[in-house]
This record gives sequence, structure tokens and C-alpha cells, in this order.
Amino acid sequence: MSTRPLDLLQGTLDLLILRTLALQPMHGWGISQRIQQMSDDVLRVNQGSLYPALQRLETAGWIESEWGASENNRQAKFYRLTRTGQKQLKAESDSWARMTEAVGKVLRGSEGF
Amino acid sequence: MRALLNWWRRDRAERNLEAEFQFHLDRETEQWIARGLDPGAARERAIRSFGPMDKHKADAREARGISWVDELLQDIKYGVRTLAKNPGYAVLAILTLGLGIGANTAIFSVINGVLLKPLPYEHGDRLVVVRQSAPLSGQSTLGVAIAEYFDYREQAQVFDGLVEYHQMNFDLLNRGEPDRVSTGVVSANFFDLLGIKPIIGRTFVASDDVVGAEAVLILSHTYWRTKFGGDPSIIGQVFEMNDRPHRVIGVLPNVPHYPQENDVYMPVLACPFRAAAERTIPRNRRAFGGLSVFGRVKEGHTHEEAAAAISTINQRFTADHAGVYRTASSGFQATTVDVRSALTEGARELLLILLGITSLVLLIACANVANLTLARMLGRDRELALRAALGAGRGRLIRQLLTESTLLATAGGIVGIAFAMATIGMLTTFVSRFTARTGEVTVDLPVLGFTLLVSVVTGVLFGTLPALGTRVNLTTALKQGSNQAGDGSGRRRLQGALIVAQVAVSVVLLVGAGLLLASFYRLQQVDAGYRSDGVLSAQVYGNFSRYGNIDALRRLYLPILDRLEGQPGVVSAAITNAVPLAGSAPGTTRFDIDGRVTDDPDRRPTTDLRVASETYFDTIGIPVVSGRAFAALDSAESLPVAVINRSMTRYWDGTDPVGTRISLNRGETWLTVVGVVGDVRQFGLAQETVAQIYVPLAQSPNNFAGQVLVRTAGTPSGFAQVLRDTVHAVDPNQPVENIQTLDDLRAEALAAPRLTATLLSVFAGLALLVTLAGIGGVIATSVTQRTREFGVRMALGASRGAVMAMVLRQGLTLVAIGLAVGIVAAAAGGRVLSAYLYQTTPRDPLIVGVVAVTFLGAAALACLAPARRATTVDPLIALRTE
Repeated sequence: MSTRPLDLLQGTLDLLILRTLALQPMHGWGISQRIQQMSDDVLRVNQGSLYPALQRLETAGWIESEWGASENNRQAKFYRLTRTGQKQLKAESDSWARMTEAVGKVLRGSEGF
Repeated sequence: MRALLNWWRRDRAERNLEAEFQFHLDRETEQWIARGLDPGAARERAIRSFGPMDKHKADAREARGISWVDELLQDIKYGVRTLAKNPGYAVLAILTLGLGIGANTAIFSVINGVLLKPLPYEHGDRLVVVRQSAPLSGQSTLGVAIAEYFDYREQAQVFDGLVEYHQMNFDLLNRGEPDRVSTGVVSANFFDLLGIKPIIGRTFVASDDVVGAEAVLILSHTYWRTKFGGDPSIIGQVFEMNDRPHRVIGVLPNVPHYPQENDVYMPVLACPFRAAAERTIPRNRRAFGGLSVFGRVKEGHTHEEAAAAISTINQRFTADHAGVYRTASSGFQATTVDVRSALTEGARELLLILLGITSLVLLIACANVANLTLARMLGRDRELALRAALGAGRGRLIRQLLTESTLLATAGGIVGIAFAMATIGMLTTFVSRFTARTGEVTVDLPVLGFTLLVSVVTGVLFGTLPALGTRVNLTTALKQGSNQAGDGSGRRRLQGALIVAQVAVSVVLLVGAGLLLASFYRLQQVDAGYRSDGVLSAQVYGNFSRYGNIDALRRLYLPILDRLEGQPGVVSAAITNAVPLAGSAPGTTRFDIDGRVTDDPDRRPTTDLRVASETYFDTIGIPVVSGRAFAALDSAESLPVAVINRSMTRYWDGTDPVGTRISLNRGETWLTVVGVVGDVRQFGLAQETVAQIYVPLAQSPNNFAGQVLVRTAGTPSGFAQVLRDTVHAVDPNQPVENIQTLDDLRAEALAAPRLTATLLSVFAGLALLVTLAGIGGVIATSVTQRTREFGVRMALGASRGAVMAMVLRQGLTLVAIGLAVGIVAAAAGGRVLSAYLYQTTPRDPLIVGVVAVTFLGAAALACLAPARRATTVDPLIALRTE
């Protein structure tokens, strides 16, 4: 397998953000760092594109935001999962799991040729 | 709501986003520095991994969603731009709507001021007026007499108070100058009951209204401002009035006065007539039966209770004085009416009719603008199709059209407010002929709210119809290069329906206007029974303190007549007690004919008693039918005589009344009838004449308010100063008022019907014009659309005449359908006008016929230009287009 970072599928970024925020409230930069860490740098978020995604999730009501002090004591915007966001995360995780499983099955099956 | 909030906060959202970006880049830079890069390189690295910042910003903005507010602003901007590109359409639409909205605004501001606003008094909704009537003897309102007022005041429990009011004209001597002032004579607690506080000084208190109290006056705000320049030191000043000094104690605030505007107010006992009458109550229970009585219903009591209480008290005193009231034959009764409706009942129906009419005019305006818009949309199909192709949904397109129509309607509303402000004075003067309550008519907040509402509803109304017609067929619209896009036939049907509706409504208005005009014409042609040309009239009311009885009055009037007849240019001069058409009501003096005395005194016939000097009938041109008029020989010492009018002769059952005797006082004295004169429409041109009896000035038993009449050889109005000088030569302190020609009085009597007819004619004319413009426009667009068809027809041999007839037929068919609908509607609705019609039935076939023919003719003319254009189509060119 190549070590080149993978581009994200459309919609996947939303799921990753929700998952990241499920752990704790976080600001934008923190989210991008965390996604890279958790995926062992395999998934690389185009950092700037995080923000339209955050805006979209907030408009949908799945996350909410608040300005607060960051770890180095500067003003940063912190995002937090809402109750509907938690439900959404569960639903999307499930469907993601079903999809990857299905795709995996297909790929495994194709190895048999 | 959230969208509005987001829109409101969009600047903040942008700033927040930038701060977030900044924070992100700073943290990333710090991280790379920590990993050993120098600050410049670290920053560069951070920016690179962040990606294109502007794109992220735009994406974020889009993710927030474009709010409907942005879309609306976009629509408005776009709408203004399209309208500006088409100024002819915009101006026409705005003016049409402006007229419609303006007419409605003007009428509504009057309705608001007259019918809707609460009275400008404390607890105005609890104010009632006592209304007495005697329906069985035909008297719908009978003033309250002093003794009756006392009974109501003492016995009624449901009122905070009952107060009396009457109006008198007195001479107030202001530094030697006599000034005739209209004086409200009121109970001491009158102003307290209405909750009116003086702006300076005080109002009346109980001690002002006792025998022997100092005479005091309160000035109205207007009188104080105009006569005394608003001088606050007026309080305490003393003016001579009725030969007594009167001290000013207060000035009223600037509020409208009801039931009448007055210059000054005085307490009841200060009025010499009222005081004199009160002393005669033991002999005459109905003494001074001309009071208005107002009451304020106690909190917690209803108007019904008040009416019941007054009615009960009335029944009690009529039973106690059965001989006076004779309830069985007169039906004498009493109730209460709330003051606001009592003040406005004469105008209510007329105002509602006017509002109905202006709403119809507005409907026509809407239909017309809708039609204009439909016609314009033919040219816009490609634009709309293009926008649809670029992703605008049908809803979005409809919204765009609605925005444009609302923009137009709002602009129309602004024009309308200007129009209303310009015409409201005229309208108020008109309505003041029907109600006293016009002092509060203004274009104020509720009126502006009404206009805004009407504008928006209008915009939606005429915007929806064309918008519903937008079922744009993308492919055909874009493919065809011409104007044939969209659902043309559906739209044409819609246009046709709008034309039919417009014609129908216009016909209703035209028939209404025609009826009023015909009625006015007939009223104008009425022979009033006298000659009004060349006669000048003036009120010369002898001041009672110097001319307290009829002998004294004769000493004033006879020399005046003598001197007047000696003036060059005077044909004759006369004195009477009321000139025709001056707005008085007929008197009801009962009489007996010698030899035919009726047993039941209440069954005796009534007549209207007039005083006439010797030359009265000559001066005013009333013909003597039989017998003779008055002559010099009819003196105080000679045989008492009378002249009756033709209407009165019916009581002689066909026999000659001349030479017979009648009595006005149950046979105490007898008058010999010496002549019969023609009938005069004394009380209104539309009123049937009543029985009238004239007694000579020399023999008149009672004093009366004199009217001087002068027939001049030249123009009578130039004679006013001579008349004034002549009277002053006899008595320098005698006021001469209301100098008017009889022609003016007659014109005044026709003013209300003339204005009503004019107003409706203007509206109907507007409706006709707007409708004709609509018909012309629709036919013109239809001709343009059918250019090719006409070309084909003519290529196949159709004559120009045939094509022209086809176009005309198309237009006139619509008009004919509209006419039919309109005539049926007018026949059904004409009845609301019947109270305003004189000798004209609401279904007058002549008027309906004239309207129908006029309309067809005018519509044919409106269709003619487009029809001619259809015949000029060159078949070759027509076939080649497309």
C-alpha cells in the first residue's frame, strides 16, 4: 500500500468531523490535527475546506459553536456536537459501516477470480 | 426567521470566519516553527496546506445558505431594473393604480374621521342623545321641552348626568362693534360631562347657573384665536351681550364641537329666551321645545338600559299630561341614540356607497394593470424561459413577478396618498353637507396603514393572475425566435375574462352616474314656484331687547322697506320670516275652517305659517291664483286676512276658499281668506309642497325673525352694500347677515346632488377610460400575435374589410358580454342609489340604453386602430417572419 495521503470522499469529511467532536468540543485547527492523528496521517484534510463543512453542519443543526479561550489562551471558535448531531453520527456511522462492509465483500469476492 | 437573523448577521459571520482562519494559520505556523522551520517558511507552509482561502470563504457562505432576504433584495433590485427599462408601462401602471388607491384612501380617511374614530371626548362611547318623536303625526324628531328635560334629569338613574343644549345667535358688542356670535347655551356641567378641560380659565360651575348670578362666557378656541389673537388676558374681560355685561371666564381647547360649532358658550339661565320660556311652563308644558339633551350612561349600564329608562320616564309624564301629549293620536315617545351614530347617520350610507364605488374603480385598475402585465409578459417569455433554463424554479419566477407588481402597487400607493391629500379638503366639504362630524378627517396613521394594506393586496391581486399564466415551455420558448412562446391561448382567455369583468364593472358605475345625472337634471328643471333671479335676501333679526314684540319689530321693518323701495334700481322690497330653500323645516300650525270644525283637536289639519309684507308675492314672483294678494288696506285695525297656497285648498273639498274664514287658535280669532297663491318648494326642490298660510306683516300677532328680500333691476349681488346701509340708516346697531341671492340659495340646495353626481361621474369616467385603454391594448397585442394568420388569410383572398371585421368582432364580443353582465348587475345594485334619485327609477331603460350604445361605440373606436393595423399586414412579409 502506498503511503500517499488519501483524498476524502464527498460526505466523508462530515462524518469524520462529527466523530471527532463526539470526543470533546474542539476548534477548527484542533479538528484537522485530530483527524490526521487518528488516521495516522493517512487521511489528510485539505485544511481550509474544513470550514465550509463546519458551516454546513452548523446550519443543519448537528453542531453548535461558541467562542472561548484556546490551549494557548487565544480566542478560538469551539464546536460541539448537538443532540441531533449525535443521532446523525450514529446513523451515518452505521450506514458507513454497512457500505464499507459491502464494498469490502465485493472486493474480497473479486480477489477470487 | 432564522434566515432573517442570518442575513442580519452576515457581516458578523464573515468577520468570525476570518478570525477563525487567522487562528488556524497562526496555530499551524507555530507548529511548524516548533518543528524547526524558520517563521517565514513556517507561515508559507501553513498557507499552502490551508488551500485557496477565497474559495473556502465562498463555500462557507454558500453552506450558510442564501437567505430569502437576499433573494428578496435581489428580486427588488432586478424588478426596479426591469421596470426602469420599460418606463411607459411602469408610469401607466403606477398612475392607474395611484388613482384607484388614492380614491380609496381619500374615502377611507373620511370614513375613518367620521364613522370610525371615537368621539374626541372622555367616555365618548357612553354619550347618548335623547330622541323624542311623534310618529303618528309624522314628526320623526321633536326637540325636548324644558319641563320634559327636568323630568328626565330628575328621574333617570342610569346616567352620570343629563345636560341640555341649544344654539342661539346673539350680538356681542366688542368695543362698540356688534358681532353676531353663535352661542351654545348649555347646562353648567355640560363640559364636565364631556370631559372637556379649558386651556385657560375655567368652565361653568353650578353657581354660574342660578338666578341673579353674574353673566359669564366661555370662548371657543377658534373664536379666541381669530377675534382676540389668542390673547391670554382675555380672561376677566367684559363684553356687552343682550344688554348685559358678560365676563369671559375660560377658553375651550381646540376640539371639534358637537352637535354644532359655536363661537361662545353661556349657561342656560343667561339665555333670555330660555329663561322667559321657563316661566311659562305652568301654562305650557311644551315651552321651549327645542332643547337637545345629552347624557353619559353610568359605567356598568348599557345603552339599552338608558333607552329603556328614558322611555319609561316619557311614558310616565305623557300619562300625567295626557291632554298635552295625546299619545294615542301622536304616538309621542322617547328613546336614546348613541351620539356618534346620531351625528353620522346622514352620511353613513353615502360614505359606504362611495367606498363601494372607489373599490370598484380600484378593481378595474387592478384588472387593467394585470392585463398590461400579461401583454408585457408576451415579450418577456424568452427572458423568463432563459432564467428558467439557468435554474430558476417556477416558484422563484412567480415570486419575481409578484415582487414587481408589489413594487408597482407600492409606488401607486405613494401616488395615491398624494392624490388623497390633494382631494381630501374637497371631499370633506362635500361630506359636511351630510354630517357635522368632519372636523377630524385627516390622513393619519390608520389611513396610511389602510393604504399600505390596499397597495399590497392590490399588488398581489394583479400580480397573481399573470403569474399563474407563466407555464413556460422551455424548449418552444427558446427555440422559436419570436414572441410565440408559452401558453398563449390560456393567457388570451385570461385577458378576455379580465376585459369582460372591467366592462361589467364600468357599466355598473356608468349606469349609476347616469342615474344621478338624470336625477340632478330633473331636479334642476323643477319649477320651484317662484322667481329666484334678481332677488337679494338678508337676515335682519331684530335684537329682542329693543324689538321685543311685534309692534316694535314693525317699527324697524316698515321704515326699512320704505327706504329700500326709494332706492334707485329697486323694483320692490319685502319682509318675510323664511326664504325658500334656506334650509328650514315646515311648521305645523293646526287650523280650523269655519263651519268644518273638527271634533278631535288632534285630527285638525296642519299648515306652515308665514308672515309676508304687502309686496312679498310680487317681489318673489309667486303668482296669485285667485282672489287677491295683501294690500295697503290690510292694516292692524282692519279685518284680519290670510292668503293660502294651492296645496292648502284641498281642505275645502273643491269649494272656493276665498271668502271663507279659518282660525289658528281654536276659534278665538278668525282670518278671512282673501286669495290663493301658487305653491312654492319652500323646503327643498325634491320635497312635495305642503299647505301654507300667509298673514300680512301688519296683522302678524307674533314677533318673528325677519328676512328682507329685494328685487333689483340689475345684478342683485352688487346691491349688498346698499341694503346694509339702508338698514343701518334706520338702526345703526342692527346686524345684517347672510346676504345671499335667491339664485345662490337655489344653487346651494342643488349642491349636494350636483356633487354626488359629479363625483360618481368622475369615477365612472375614469373607469371607462381605463377600460377602453385595456380593450385597445388587448386587441393590439392579439393583432400582433396573429400577424401571420392575417397574412395567410389575406394571401388566400380575405378582403381587408373582412380582416378588420374579424378584429372588431373579437373586441366587441368581449364588450357585449361585459355589457350584458354589467346591465344585470346594475339592475340589481341600482337600488342602493334610490335615496339619492329624484323622479328617476334605478332601472331607467333610457339610461341603460345610452350607456350600452356609448360603450359599444367607444369600444369600437378603441379597437379601430389595431384593426386597421391588421389590414395593413403584407402577406409576403407576414409569411416570411418565422
